[in-house]
Amino acid sequence: MTSDARVDSPLVFGFLTVVEQPSQGLVGGYLLLNAQARPLEFHCTAPVRASRTQEILYGPTLEPFLYGEQIGRTLFQACQQQPTAIFTDRPSALAAAEHVSAPVWLVLNDDVAPNANSQASVATRGSAAIAALAPAANYRADTAHKGVAGMHALHCGAYRLACRAEDAARGVEDRIEAAVATFDLEEPFERIRAAIDESQRGAR
Amino acid sequence: MSAASEGFSWLATNEAAPVLRSRTFYPSSPQSLRSPAPVQPAAPMTIRERYGLRSPIVAEMERPSLSICAEESPASVHSWEPSTTRIETSSYLFARRAIAEVATVEPPAPAPIDVAVADDAGADGSNVLARLRKHNRYTRLKPPGESVKLADRLQVLLEPPLELLLENQCLELPQRPFPFQMDGVAFLYPRQAAMLADEMGLGKTMQAITAIRLLLRTGEARSVLLICPKPLVSNWKREFQNWAAELPILVIEGNQSRRQWQWRQPNAPVKIANYELLRRDAEIITDPSLRFDLVVLDESQRIKNRSGAASTVARSISRERSWALTGTPVENSADDLVGIFDFLAPGHLHSSMTPQRMGRLSADYVLRRTKAQVMIDLPPKLMRDADIELTPEQREAYQMAEEKGVLKLSEMGDALTIQHVFELVLRLKQICNFDPATGASAKLERLMADLEELTASGQKALVFSQWVESLNVLKKRLHRFNPLEFHGGIPSNRRDDVLQEFREDPKRRVLLMSYGAGSVGLNLQFASYVFLFDRWWNPAVEDQAINRAHRIGAAGPVTITRFLTLRTIEERIDQVLRDKRELFEQIFAGAASPKTRLSQEEIFGLFRLKCPAGPMTPVAVPTYADQPAIETMTPAQ
Repeated sequence: MTSDARVDSPLVFGFLTVVEQPSQGLVGGYLLLNAQARPLEFHCTAPVRASRTQEILYGPTLEPFLYGEQIGRTLFQACQQQPTAIFTDRPSALAAAEHVSAPVWLVLNDDVAPNANSQASVATRGSAAIAALAPAANYRADTAHKGVAGMHALHCGAYRLACRAEDAARGVEDRIEAAVATFDLEEPFERIRAAIDESQRGAR
Repeated sequence: MSAASEGFSWLATNEAAPVLRSRTFYPSSPQSLRSPAPVQPAAPMTIRERYGLRSPIVAEMERPSLSICAEESPASVHSWEPSTTRIETSSYLFARRAIAEVATVEPPAPAPIDVAVADDAGADGSNVLARLRKHNRYTRLKPPGESVKLADRLQVLLEPPLELLLENQCLELPQRPFPFQMDGVAFLYPRQAAMLADEMGLGKTMQAITAIRLLLRTGEARSVLLICPKPLVSNWKREFQNWAAELPILVIEGNQSRRQWQWRQPNAPVKIANYELLRRDAEIITDPSLRFDLVVLDESQRIKNRSGAASTVARSISRERSWALTGTPVENSADDLVGIFDFLAPGHLHSSMTPQRMGRLSADYVLRRTKAQVMIDLPPKLMRDADIELTPEQREAYQMAEEKGVLKLSEMGDALTIQHVFELVLRLKQICNFDPATGASAKLERLMADLEELTASGQKALVFSQWVESLNVLKKRLHRFNPLEFHGGIPSNRRDDVLQEFREDPKRRVLLMSYGAGSVGLNLQFASYVFLFDRWWNPAVEDQAINRAHRIGAAGPVTITRFLTLRTIEERIDQVLRDKRELFEQIFAGAASPKTRLSQEEIFGLFRLKCPAGPMTPVAVPTYADQPAIETMTPAQ
């Protein structure tokens, strides 16, 4: 996962999300899809729970640490294929961008009506996400988040996407637009959640 | 110091100590396995892992450490540095076949989009997906219960919703299916063994074709065999052209050498054969070298008799997947379902099971929807029971025949068999239709009055009888209505013409049909009246007949008139039919009913005869031309 995605390579899109299991902790799921939206790889983590020490020491940066460094990086390392781009519906998972060569885009969809009961609804996280994207607001100022730059927003079809400015500079926006034409960018997260539920059910 | 943490892993509990590692899993389906070379060397799977069971929490995670070094310095120094945490992951890899590896033909230009569909779909249908997205109304695939391995279940769960799957495979549909039809496709597509048992008229054909199309398109199947009753072959061919125009269809027909060549044709992804060929070409079909990825049995009740040739051959076909399509999975007894399951999942059901247990065990394999459940917009089905008094001539002939017949049966003593009882039943039923001496018929009088009225209003009607002889009489007596005929006496190469003429010619408003030839698979939704001139033994066959007209596409209410002559054998049989309906409900709707089959007492009780003692064995009663065998019970000889 060290080299940039080649422009002429087959389109492979990664979808990263984190599910909070109340009794167990955070479970990360990472799904790689081909251009037909069919699964190529799926990886999920064991539940991760921050210790009290971590809660104290990481403070407001705990979530980006868990989502990005702990979960995101672990999942990227387990993966065999290199995606063209990675999408996430969790703002804190943007921190994972530092551990992968492909750009990580946050999916925001304001067209969806807010649903207080739906963890899946991006809209409910929309405002928080924007806030999270404010420079350094929730980012650690240590080695994990060096040089946080401004965020880059992109309107693409029904979606608003955001990523780190340095990722946006990689010139993959045309491929992102191709993805949006093919994909419902929110739908794969539902698949990941269903798969995590299924695996957790098996665990019980 | 390392912080305690909770987590889980895929490690089996019999391992001595928790070890952090990644595991890679592959779905078990041979078609989808990516050939060898996972990056992670696969450790041998334990039983717990193989069956998707999760072990208790054993993961250990390294955590950022916090050291307290009180002894090194007069003042305590607390130092901390972040360290890498290793987390257990589970990985699943899916191999993808190239698209469109099957042969295809150039489909005709798409039909104009239906106005109602276009209205909210947009000219190219693109808005449909947007709407589905907005309301999260996707049809998602669900893993079948038969999938034990977690990797297999995840493979299904991680597939895109059906709508996206179709769109991304560039599979256009000529019409937008109803949501329940999409559910049916999603049910069939991932299953190795499945029975689609929707009530007649809900589009089982379209659902099966779309699922077949997806399997072929995604490379999960390359060779499909569809077996159907002979009269339905042309219907299937037409439906394939409509719903999967790009697929080359090969109908197995002709002389033996031609068929032998056709069976072995590798470039025909879909082959259609009729049940009769199962017997004739048994040697070829059961040759293990002839293998199909999918075998679909339409009207699968044809193999309910496990000792029959069709069932034996169908079960012997070398295949990967087995699907059954039927609107009547239980026609006579719960054994019918066992017969079909011997093809789908051998040994899964047994005759000794209670209907309730059968219903539970078959639930994951069977998808059944009724019109009442899914078709809110389908026009109503109006059932009219026409209770009719026999004409004096008929009554006299009937009474005489019954008295003589019962007397004769009573005198037979131990030689009495069910066949003898049935001969009398059929004789009496014929008298209920027409007086043999004078031709008088109370039913006909009523029928003519009704036809007069409905043809005057431009409506079309189907008239069903179990006898070709009765249909011939009806044809003469209904001459002024210019009726068409569709029964076993009509050559099969003329039948499509008859149906086309009935469909298109406004002067042809009445179609006389036999239950045997006209009860299954035909789309006659332009007829708004159905008359059951006489009653069949099996309510499922009656339902099949009714649903030729009452199905998707019906423009208005469908009125069904069931003729029943009072104080006759027809009235007694009607009670038997009601009991059979109860049995069906018991298996497929969970309704309680103690009866599972006709008892010996009930059969003989039609004439208040004392039944012979002894166990009963199945027997096929000799039948009249064009009439399928009536399966019932007879005392063991």
